[in-house]
Amino acid sequence: MMILIGLLVTFLGFVISVLSLTLASSVGGRLVLVLLGLVVSLFGIIGVLNKHYLKNAIWKKG
Amino acid sequence: MTMTTKRFLPFLLALLALSLVPSGSAQTPAAPAAAPAAAPAPAPKPITDADVAGAPVPTADARAKGDPDGSLTGTASDVTVTDAKKGATIGDVVNQVGQNKIAINFVWTLVTGFLVMFMQAGFAIVETGLCRAKNANHTMMMNFMVYGVGMFAYWLIGFAIQMGGVGAVANLGGTPPLNSEFTITLFGKAFGLWGQNGLFLVHKGTYDVAVLVLFLFQMVFMDTALTIVTGAAAERWKYAAFIISSFLMGAFTYPIFANWAWGGGWLANLGANFNLGKGYCDFAGSGVVHAVGGITALALSMIIGPRIGKYTREGKPNAILAHDIVIVLTGCFILAFGWFGFNPGSTLGASGNGSLRIGSVAVNTMLAGMAGSFGAMLYMWLRYRKPDASMSGNGLLAGLVAITAPSGFVNPVGSVIIGVIAGVLVCISVEFVDRVLKVDDPVGAISVHGTNGLWGVLSIGLFADGKSNYGGSWNGVNGSVTGLFYGDNGGQLVAQLIGIVTLLGFVFTLSFVFNLLIDWVVGQRVSAKSELQGLDLPEMGALGYPEFELKTQA
Repeated sequence: MMILIGLLVTFLGFVISVLSLTLASSVGGRLVLVLLGLVVSLFGIIGVLNKHYLKNAIWKKG
Repeated sequence: MTMTTKRFLPFLLALLALSLVPSGSAQTPAAPAAAPAAAPAPAPKPITDADVAGAPVPTADARAKGDPDGSLTGTASDVTVTDAKKGATIGDVVNQVGQNKIAINFVWTLVTGFLVMFMQAGFAIVETGLCRAKNANHTMMMNFMVYGVGMFAYWLIGFAIQMGGVGAVANLGGTPPLNSEFTITLFGKAFGLWGQNGLFLVHKGTYDVAVLVLFLFQMVFMDTALTIVTGAAAERWKYAAFIISSFLMGAFTYPIFANWAWGGGWLANLGANFNLGKGYCDFAGSGVVHAVGGITALALSMIIGPRIGKYTREGKPNAILAHDIVIVLTGCFILAFGWFGFNPGSTLGASGNGSLRIGSVAVNTMLAGMAGSFGAMLYMWLRYRKPDASMSGNGLLAGLVAITAPSGFVNPVGSVIIGVIAGVLVCISVEFVDRVLKVDDPVGAISVHGTNGLWGVLSIGLFADGKSNYGGSWNGVNGSVTGLFYGDNGGQLVAQLIGIVTLLGFVFTLSFVFNLLIDWVVGQRVSAKSELQGLDLPEMGALGYPEFELKTQA
């Protein structure tokens, strides 16, 4: 389940950056939205997916 | 004033006086006081077919005596004529000029493609050297067979997806059969998603000399992306899973993003459609090749998990040493050599459309590599009191990876800055991946290619100096690619950032899903017993170094 959530969050960042093309017309507005997309994608990878895999890491099993 | 200057002062003054006298005044008669108005110059006499046919050519007797100084070879007699009875015409000469231009560009693109192909050897020995001796055969075989597996997938479908709708590639004479891009309309604009011509290189007229040259060059780029992944997953990747994963990457993951950036897809058209600079720019592939490879490596490494013994029970990383630093650094040199194909070759020609920038691209490449190796060596020296060899090698590669995208758009100073940042960045990124993410990457591929691939993409939006001119436009937008530090309004930077988020948000997701499916169906990881023994015997059936006595490392 966490894998699916992680993938969706990661993909959501991409969607936000594409939507910036229509949600904002100024360069500054688009920049803010794209940076938001970047943070969301990184959160999906590091904060959700990687965290999930670290919970069951091979070195924790001893 | 010194004695020497004093002695020569009269001589210098005399020389100056002489230089002010109009040249030739001593020999030519004085001009008449009132010269008549100059008559209009006669119109140049047009060259006729008779002039061309009458151009002097060496006689058969002269040629029969040989041509030791080369002055008789390559003359008017070598111009291909359409009608032997009429002899050479102006049309023949013009056609020959056009063919010579395309021939130069074909040879340039092919030879640089051959250089890129040789990078596979560099990757193979860098990765094998950085792994343990008990996995040498397995690591070499992955690097060896990724060439064939990737090429097969790319020939079947990958090339068509990537370049099937690229349209005219002027430097190669047009490539007219590659003219069908699948598009959707989004926000009122056409979004190109994938190409549709070129399956098996015969589909819809793609059995074409220019298309085949383009295929060779693009194929070796794709294979570079694939071979990045083998390093990150080395020493624990099941060989069958590697074959399937590499096939899917060569057939779909790589070509889709490459289409968006290079094949006429939506990223390339961000400038034309949304007024964001010249659209997403990536001259030779920091994003398309290296970041795609590095990000796929990250996705796979997370799924496959770290090697046994890499982390303690408390999660503290252990260093697992490289078995042969000599071949690691030799491999880095081979890669640096191949990079002269990677970046300068991306002009797809040496004649026309600003292709003489190849000199600038080549120098930028070597400077950034140098700066990267210095950055990494100095960082490690200051931080750990030793100039670490493997990280210096990774610094060289990081500088080269980072300059790959901007190499065609920046000046030498920009290249050095980009390279030195890359050299430091790779060290910090390796530590972050190792200690914070706890993702095991035996060769540093995620940091070298992923992190620095993204840095290279970003750097265009900052350092592109607006001096390049590849036929007057880039991605269909007039003018030169210009970054924030050279007067752009930030639109180019936003286009580059959208490319970066696409790599992280889309390419990562797609790679993750593919490799997760493989993990569920065939399993990505070898058994613990095989891993401890070393993969050479269990997976490949033969040791890489059969005369070595190998220690089993728990």
